[in-house]
Amino acid sequence: MKKLYIILMLLTLSVTALAQSGRDLYNKYSDKPGVEAVYISPAMFRLIGRIPDIEFKDSEVDFSPLIKTMTGFYILTTLDPAIGASLYDDVNRYVQSGHYELLMEAKENGEVMRMYTVGDPKTVTSFVMLAHEGDEVSFISFDGNMDREMMEKLLAEAAAEQ
Amino acid sequence: MKTLQEIEKLTAGDLQRIGADESISVPADLQVRLPRQQTTLRGWSIAAAAAILIGLGWWGLDRALQPKDTFDDPYLAYAAVEQALSRVSGGVHNAAAKVSESEAMIDKVNYWK
Repeated sequence: MKKLYIILMLLTLSVTALAQSGRDLYNKYSDKPGVEAVYISPAMFRLIGRIPDIEFKDSEVDFSPLIKTMTGFYILTTLDPAIGASLYDDVNRYVQSGHYELLMEAKENGEVMRMYTVGDPKTVTSFVMLAHEGDEVSFISFDGNMDREMMEKLLAEAAAEQ
Repeated sequence: MKTLQEIEKLTAGDLQRIGADESISVPADLQVRLPRQQTTLRGWSIAAAAAILIGLGWWGLDRALQPKDTFDDPYLAYAAVEQALSRVSGGVHNAAAKVSESEAMIDKVNYWK
């Protein structure tokens, strides 16, 4: 009987662990006043994948190969100081509790921008960007099965262009 | 010892008489062993039912918590992703610019040393 209870406890714990995700953050903040929220589902990404020859209009860099490997996308942006502080703390807790690895950090005059990734040396399965610039706090997160080299190359190309 | 053919020829009455034969010894702990097996079986059934319920509950919860797509149009969704990636690359650009500034500063310091 003890074994059964242990199995049930492990099952419950695994369910709780799975519940920690970008989706939880989105669900917590997306309906709050003063929060700009965008969610793109895996189903929508499947539709995007079927669109032929999409062009990146704002840049010379073609992000479409990267976008077509994405499966989920969350954006939360707020100018509300209280909500922003709470979002900032929650995202920090989220990246620390997961398997996120700090990719980049930039700090200047109290402004902070951090990027985190999860995956292996070849693939990125999740990306998070957290930025605190003045009163604005932004959280951008996308999941998928993205080629790390391609992602870094495209982001670097787009950065060089700016 | 009876053969299979002999056993098949036995009537229900014969079997009842053989069953009532007190010369066959019954293990003293037989009554204890049977309920324990039943308890284990019942335990596994409860665990299986609980696992199924948890699984169904998790599935239902997962569906209920699924956010609604912000865009119905894949082109608009694509444009939003594109804009966000532009913002991410802006962050990379700013970080790279700071690295260049720092490198220039280090070069200056090294020059005056």
